[in-house]
Amino acid sequence: MTLVLLLLIPFLAAVIVLTCKQSRRAVRVAMTAGAIEVAAIVHAVWRIHTVGVLQSGRYLRADGLTAFFLLSAGLILALVLMYSVGYLRHIPAGRFSSPRWFYSLTFLFVFTIMAVYLSANLGMLWISVESTTLASALLVGFYNTKGAVEAGWKYLVVCTVGIAFALFGTIALYLAAVKSGVDPTSALDWDALMNAAPSLAATSNLVKLSFVFVAVGYGTKIGFVPMHSWLPDAHAEAPTPISAMLSAVLLNCALYALLRFDSITSQAIGSGFSHGLLLIFGCTSVAAAALLMVVQRDLKRLLAYSSIEHVGIVALGIGIGGPLGIMGALLHTFNHSVAKSLMFFTAGYVRDNYGTLRMRRIHGMARSLPWTSVGLTVGSIAIAGLPPFGLFISEFMILTAAFSASRYFIAILLMIALTVVFGALVHHLQRMLAGKRVDLHDRPKLLPADLTVMGICIAILLVLGIHLPRAFANILQQALVVLQ
Amino acid sequence: MGLIELAAAKALASSAVFLFITLLMMAAAKRISTCIVLFSLQSAIMASEILSMAWVGKSAEAYAVAALVIVVKVVAIPCALFRIIKDLKASQDVASSTTGVQSVFIMAALILLSFFAVAPYAVTLRLDEDMLAAAVALLLAGAFLMVSRKKALMQVIGLLVLENGIFVAALTTTYGMPLVIEIGIFFDLLMGVFLMGLFVFRIRDTFEHLDVSKLRRLRG
Repeated sequence: MTLVLLLLIPFLAAVIVLTCKQSRRAVRVAMTAGAIEVAAIVHAVWRIHTVGVLQSGRYLRADGLTAFFLLSAGLILALVLMYSVGYLRHIPAGRFSSPRWFYSLTFLFVFTIMAVYLSANLGMLWISVESTTLASALLVGFYNTKGAVEAGWKYLVVCTVGIAFALFGTIALYLAAVKSGVDPTSALDWDALMNAAPSLAATSNLVKLSFVFVAVGYGTKIGFVPMHSWLPDAHAEAPTPISAMLSAVLLNCALYALLRFDSITSQAIGSGFSHGLLLIFGCTSVAAAALLMVVQRDLKRLLAYSSIEHVGIVALGIGIGGPLGIMGALLHTFNHSVAKSLMFFTAGYVRDNYGTLRMRRIHGMARSLPWTSVGLTVGSIAIAGLPPFGLFISEFMILTAAFSASRYFIAILLMIALTVVFGALVHHLQRMLAGKRVDLHDRPKLLPADLTVMGICIAILLVLGIHLPRAFANILQQALVVLQ
Repeated sequence: MGLIELAAAKALASSAVFLFITLLMMAAAKRISTCIVLFSLQSAIMASEILSMAWVGKSAEAYAVAALVIVVKVVAIPCALFRIIKDLKASQDVASSTTGVQSVFIMAALILLSFFAVAPYAVTLRLDEDMLAAAVALLLAGAFLMVSRKKALMQVIGLLVLENGIFVAALTTTYGMPLVIEIGIFFDLLMGVFLMGLFVFRIRDTFEHLDVSKLRRLRG
């Protein structure tokens, strides 16, 4: 029942919000539904934490790994909804036509994300991941400008093709399972596959073929270079709350799907093959994204490329493997989600005040927008992986794992990339912050809610950078157990 | 052997060839509407294949899947695409970046390539080599249509062909996935085509053309 509720609430919310003609009522309904959903997520995480595995019917299942990802999704959802209230108020009326459609699509998007996390079955998992694309494509194109329509089209087409490859991979794994004697009716269930994994070794060629297709397919959605072409466009053109959702929740969602396949493949034929492939994708993503960040001209595109870099780091962590590498990778997904949301939120304020995101036209932020500047600076320090913020810890774990596994090439590549990223961020940031005070006409004031959102992000990053709370560490530990 | 069994056996044996023919014709097609008809035909071939399987295996699930294919892929999606063409009132040219002859030769090469690609798997897994090759050929052909044709609608059709390839792969290797999954995939496909149709209209309204090769505002 706990699991069904997680799906039911956003679905009902999407329907109910759509019936609210008044935009104020739509916002109020959306906030209430969001609060209930977040409460349901917390409840579910707590239940999983005490019970271990929750199963509801044949198609819904949640274990430690699910709980960890649900926790980060719930947190980001709460932050995004709080942020969206102020966002809607700042936006000029003509630009943002219909809050009820916005919230309705957002809840539909949340519904599909929950479906990804709760699927017990790899076929259902594929269906859910594909529906996340469908639900969010309209949100990417929400503003209906030339850029938004182009980004939406590109997102829809590139991701659908990519995901089609993942379906091919899923079918190949199904075939391998059926050939190795798993009952065809349950040969897509995660449980059954995990139990039967050792016997899959007989069809190792098929398992390898399957993983290649799945890695390319879900990798498109994760944003691995060279399948990343949709990502900067979609993240830059979407409304800011959705940019944060795409970057902080959706990438994790696709990563979660790939992790499931990775653990089956590792169980079946040893971790060498799948982890090797992840290392390749990780290296290309980290290197390419770091270099591209230097030449970006648009703030949100800069953040999008930074997301590619961070999923690359996560892929490296998983690829290096070992308890430390995987723990670092999981922790990094969480840290990155919080830091990137903070960055996108501040980018939204910059857009409201300066009317542009072109970094060349933004000057004197430190004097004109002190609070936003604080958020942006702290976010940049965190995202660059400096102490005392959470990303430092997780990146340090991954680097330590790389050195102790004697992966010197990867460790050095990662360090060079991190240095380049740091340089790029400093370069862009100092140009925007420095300069004389700019007179911004009738600029929207930051609401207390906006400051709270930024404060929460910074507080979480600080806490995770100094000491992992006991409960959080336990949840992380349970997620690790599932993967090993 | 009764007449129906004979027909079923024939359909099973030669459907790969029919699929190849539709692909070659698609490569040669100059008009979008031709491609839609060919896609519908392709799906009909798949449906007949599933029907013959269902007849041989006496499986209710297979009948249900065949019905789904006929309703969604043979009728609903082509009708929707024709409707879009009618409403768009745009030129019907596929706007290919390769000439007709080149396209046909490339398509033939892709079909050959797919035979080479599946040969090792077909032997070890004891599968029907022709159908497996057809599946891979459909995949490659779909991708080829998407990159070589500039019209937004042709990208949708390319995607549909690619999806057909995956469907044929599932069919020949495992006699289809469990029914619930099959239904989910069809639903996603239908929604995907619906959304892409929506975006085609938006592209037309905001850019006043449908040539996706001219969409290059967002680069780098």
